[in-house]
Amino acid sequence: MNDQALTDAFYAHVMGGGKVEADDWMPDDYRAALLKFVEMHANSELMGVLPEREWILRAPTLRRKLALTSKVQDEVGHAQLLYRVAEDLGKPREQMLADLLAGKTKFHNVFHYPTRSWGDVGIIAWLVDAAAIVSQQALRDSSYAPYARTMKKICWEESVHIMHGRDVVLTLMNGTDAQRAMVQEALDRWWGPLMQMHGPKTDPATDRDLIWKIKSKHNEQLRQEFLSIYVPRILELGLTIPDPALRYDQAEGRWQYTEPDWDELRSVVTGHGPMSQQRLEFRRTSRDDTQWVRDAIIGPATVAAA
Amino acid sequence: MSEPQDRVWEVFRQEAEGDPMVHGGSVRAPDEELALHYAREFYGRRQESHRLWVVARDSIVELDDPDLLDPPFDRSHKRPGGYIIKHKLEAAKARAATTGAPEVEE
Amino acid sequence: MDLSTPVRDALAELLLTLADDEFVLGYWDSEWTGIAPMLEEDVAMSSVSQDEIGHARAWYELVASLTDDDADRLAYGRAPEEYRHAALMNHARTDWAFTVARRFLYEHADAARLESLARSSYSPLAELAVKMRREETYHLMHFEIWLRRLAEAGGEARERLAAALERLGPDAATVFSPLAGEAALVEAGILPDPLDALRSRWLERVGPVCEALGLPAPDGAAALPPDGRTRRTDEFAWLHGELTMVARSEEAATW
Repeated sequence: MNDQALTDAFYAHVMGGGKVEADDWMPDDYRAALLKFVEMHANSELMGVLPEREWILRAPTLRRKLALTSKVQDEVGHAQLLYRVAEDLGKPREQMLADLLAGKTKFHNVFHYPTRSWGDVGIIAWLVDAAAIVSQQALRDSSYAPYARTMKKICWEESVHIMHGRDVVLTLMNGTDAQRAMVQEALDRWWGPLMQMHGPKTDPATDRDLIWKIKSKHNEQLRQEFLSIYVPRILELGLTIPDPALRYDQAEGRWQYTEPDWDELRSVVTGHGPMSQQRLEFRRTSRDDTQWVRDAIIGPATVAAA
Repeated sequence: MSEPQDRVWEVFRQEAEGDPMVHGGSVRAPDEELALHYAREFYGRRQESHRLWVVARDSIVELDDPDLLDPPFDRSHKRPGGYIIKHKLEAAKARAATTGAPEVEE
Repeated sequence: MDLSTPVRDALAELLLTLADDEFVLGYWDSEWTGIAPMLEEDVAMSSVSQDEIGHARAWYELVASLTDDDADRLAYGRAPEEYRHAALMNHARTDWAFTVARRFLYEHADAARLESLARSSYSPLAELAVKMRREETYHLMHFEIWLRRLAEAGGEARERLAAALERLGPDAATVFSPLAGEAALVEAGILPDPLDALRSRWLERVGPVCEALGLPAPDGAAALPPDGRTRRTDEFAWLHGELTMVARSEEAATW
């Protein structure tokens, strides 16, 4: 087969529901799109560690301390799993970390925001993780099998995080007025970023990642799924969602909501969020501080054996 | 002293006693001691594994021509489903009924 | 087992030292979660720190059962001067070499202590010690690997490690600081070996490892400072402020 025939056969295979393994031949544009997708996912897990990590020393009971440390540990573990998938596509881990720290690659919008109270710990673990798991569950069907398998493991671990978050929120809602106010205030701040998290509506007919089945659902599908499951669960606790336009449209069979601020999303993910630079700087510093360890243990930063 | 060397180790896990060893994923580590520690962390910290193996990735040999696993001629004689006996069995039973095969003692 | 008041008080004091050692060290090391030198090690280190918090919880629960208290109150409701961790745990996380050095010194001390406590006549204590040894065995293996690797790497890694061991040496033996009611505990078989005997056992183990690697070993002849378990530093005061921040923000709240 010539290159074009190989390429055509490859796309016919994935578009027909076929799977691809790391050692299989794949067209450069599939590899590039896949790498970009997985790398941003890995970056997000790694940067997603930082907002919650700030509360590891402040968790108010022994059980919360254990649960939160364990959750943040899982996110680090997920970063490792995803960087392993990306490394096997040909880009060394060190290069991916360098690009992230240099601002050349992105991470999810929600990890560019500050955490201000223990209420944030609950809202992040419950709702940010819930919004993430909706997209991650859809990735278990990815045409790239190593990614799909990794997502199965990650989703299994994430389900614990949502329960931890929900338990934190429920405990606060059953607590004092100040604790309830803490949750509402956190929800008010996080709702905007949550609604932006899955991204603007895209045309499924031209979405390359969707056509090649790197992902299996488009942005609006994911947002609607999130709203269907979580709006009732938020409202039943007596919390208010800060969007007067939010309602389920029976006739259209979908949620209506105020159009999220897409300018904010674009600005935030390109490094202009309220905490973007501090978080990157913190990572740079901690990476520099431990460079001597890696030099001593695994040798100077080079390409890992592929 | 040898140069430190970072390698990729493939991790295989047995979920419960008696199960097959199944590929779980991979870790990077400078030696097999730490590779085992990391395998334990990544594939055992939730008590999800009964047994773990780590294998240096470069020790794995793959049969890299998929065509060799896809024989072009009929191999149905190697599978139970390759033997279709329903009609033959019916015919044999019918024939036995008419020719008076010996009764089976109850 | 019926305990006289002085013995029970001494036992509670012993248990509190065990709990506070694990609690404070678990807190410092939990700070590595998310920023350890390699992603693989990050997850491993986090498990170790979680194990320690889990052990602290078990010890606090045992204290609470003796003193009609509450494990979370003990962990988060005391003033800095009421904690009883050894001076070894007063230092902040510092760098990876410092963490490895402290872990190495502490894991061996804890191992010597738990081996003895596994034979305690007070069965709830003995049972916990047996369980904890199962996890601590792995900690010890893990940090001996790290100690050896950093030492054998030479250069900056070795220098940092040696400096950390020098700095921690004088505080390391404070894990074995004498307790007020120690004699009564030894007599009742609750503490099967005097702490000073455990200190010797500890030195017999860490000394040869350090010597084989050409690293500074703790000084076996040095007298223990009188404030080995009561001295508090600014670094600990900072940690205490962080770890009680949410817990004390709302009076009598449930979290």
